[in-house]
Amino acid sequence: MKPMRRRTLSLLGLLGLPTAFLLFFFFCPLIIMAVYSFLTPGLYGGVEWTFFDLNYGRILGWADTKYERFDPVYLEIFLRSLRLAALTVLTSLIVSYPTAFWISRMTPARRTFAIFLVTLPFFVSLIVRLFAWVLILRPTGFLNQGLMGIGATSEPIEFLYTDFAVIVGMTYVFIPFMFLPLYASIEKLDVDQLEASSDLGATRFQTFRKVILPATLPGIVGGSVLTFIPALGNFIVPSVLGGAKVVMIGNLIEQQFLSARNWPFGSALAMMVMAAVLLLLLLQLRLVKGRGEAL
Amino acid sequence: MTRTFARAALVFLLGLSPFSSTAASAEEELHIYNWGDYINPAVLEKFTDETGIKVTLDTYGSNEEMLAKIQAGATGYDIVFPSVHMHDIMFKLGLLAKTDIGEHPDFKNIDPQFIRAKTDPDAAYCLPYAWGNVGIVYNKAEAGEIKGWKDFFALADKGKKVILLDDLRETIGIGHIMNGTSVNSTDEEEVAAAAQYVIDHADAVSAFSYDSIPLVTSGDVAAAHWYVGANIFVAKNPDILAYVIPEEGATMYQEDMCVLKSAPNYDNAVKFLEFYLKPEIAALNVEQQMNGTPNVPAQDLIPEEIADNETIYPDQETMDKLQIFEDLGRDLQLYNREWTRIKTAQ
Repeated sequence: MKPMRRRTLSLLGLLGLPTAFLLFFFFCPLIIMAVYSFLTPGLYGGVEWTFFDLNYGRILGWADTKYERFDPVYLEIFLRSLRLAALTVLTSLIVSYPTAFWISRMTPARRTFAIFLVTLPFFVSLIVRLFAWVLILRPTGFLNQGLMGIGATSEPIEFLYTDFAVIVGMTYVFIPFMFLPLYASIEKLDVDQLEASSDLGATRFQTFRKVILPATLPGIVGGSVLTFIPALGNFIVPSVLGGAKVVMIGNLIEQQFLSARNWPFGSALAMMVMAAVLLLLLLQLRLVKGRGEAL
Repeated sequence: MTRTFARAALVFLLGLSPFSSTAASAEEELHIYNWGDYINPAVLEKFTDETGIKVTLDTYGSNEEMLAKIQAGATGYDIVFPSVHMHDIMFKLGLLAKTDIGEHPDFKNIDPQFIRAKTDPDAAYCLPYAWGNVGIVYNKAEAGEIKGWKDFFALADKGKKVILLDDLRETIGIGHIMNGTSVNSTDEEEVAAAAQYVIDHADAVSAFSYDSIPLVTSGDVAAAHWYVGANIFVAKNPDILAYVIPEEGATMYQEDMCVLKSAPNYDNAVKFLEFYLKPEIAALNVEQQMNGTPNVPAQDLIPEEIADNETIYPDQETMDKLQIFEDLGRDLQLYNREWTRIKTAQ
């Protein structure tokens, strides 16, 4: 009995604080949002405590009053955000995967330094870094000057305030989130297995497909989820580099809470993002589990 | 008013309360909560010199941000600077303290046309602080001469781009002005038509942003929808930039200086309002802010190049063409809906 109780106690000690933290700072706000999304918007922000289903009706189709009217534009923005977030995941993956391989093959001292370099941007304010991208991408910016200098184009190309700029910016911001889980699984890769694979006559591509890819899949999925979730809700990048023209769902939510003073509608939109993220996590669970059994 | 930075700060700092409730110290204090870069620091220093009251200044980026914080229970602030329509809202929400500033002998300095808040017709609560118009700042080499909104949007025909403010009332307001409807219209069709005007000219618009001045200066865009404060940048680069009040009409803004009901230093706050009634103090503020003051005798004390600048102190005929935003209550949702439509029109 005694050792059992001690284990319970130490479990409680170890898990108690993080559980309380999650309950208080994650679960409670989430419940507040969920409740708000079914309430009537207050005149000057806040809510009135009467049930109201038109917040979802505006998004999903049954609202038709003067102030709350269904508009497919909200679903369009949602789909666009999904697309931009997915493209961000893809570009981050393309950049991070070979980089992680390269770094994992370095000497330990250089490796530590290289990982430090990957996380270095976190030491500078995000806003400052995004404004640096404005300087790079604008018509008279470094990128256009460079392209015109080598004669690739005679007129400046419009990079700033486009989907392209948003994807570049988000990729830049989220690369560490993709890189670190990828690196963790690539570093664990057994070199003997790769040698065995080629000894047994596999081509390099076959080795990649049959050995490397399955072994690093948890890192790919983990990194993709860690990148996709914040990219989906991001609103700073589209507002600075997209010129607030490439509206993403995060911008729409921000607008509801500030300038539009419609907290319940903002909450309803946020719950939609939440639902999408939950679906994604379930998918991840199945994907990784399914693979694990197949191996 | 660098709103983006303030907004970014909001994102990162949301929830950090501005003050830990400090124990009552012997030192007299005053806590001011103002828009970013919206008061000359010399004014605050002078107040401290004269009264010995220590002033702290915190800033916000929009009326809504300030209201949200005060509503969420941020205490510790004494004075805020809401726009006129927000002054009305805060009064209705019971957030303001009565000061009777309108009965102070020096209140005769204030031009009565600036007592605009409908809920405060005798200035029993707030003091009209500063005002300005919202017009067009442009790059002279890129845009040529711009007289109004028509020239502004016609830049698209020359392959040039412009930037509009990321503000639903201001931007839909341009459509209202061009359609000859009120910027405070709550008629569904009028609002939709105003938004449609902006959408019809979307090919000229490269972005909605507050941070457009550097891009106009560098020629990356030809012109931008901006505040009269652009004159500060025009004064620095007079060969490159120019600012104009559009001939078709424009909007104006005005902020009032209000004392909060929750003010911990009410007496000091009222002292500051009275201090700001002095013409030399209002003039000192204008010197650095380059905006309009409702203080009439102050206008004789400000530097000539500001007083003579017709875009800062326009003639009465132009003044009459300026419209100010009123609180729309629930009808703001009509604008909100159209705003999403504008943002997604590519």
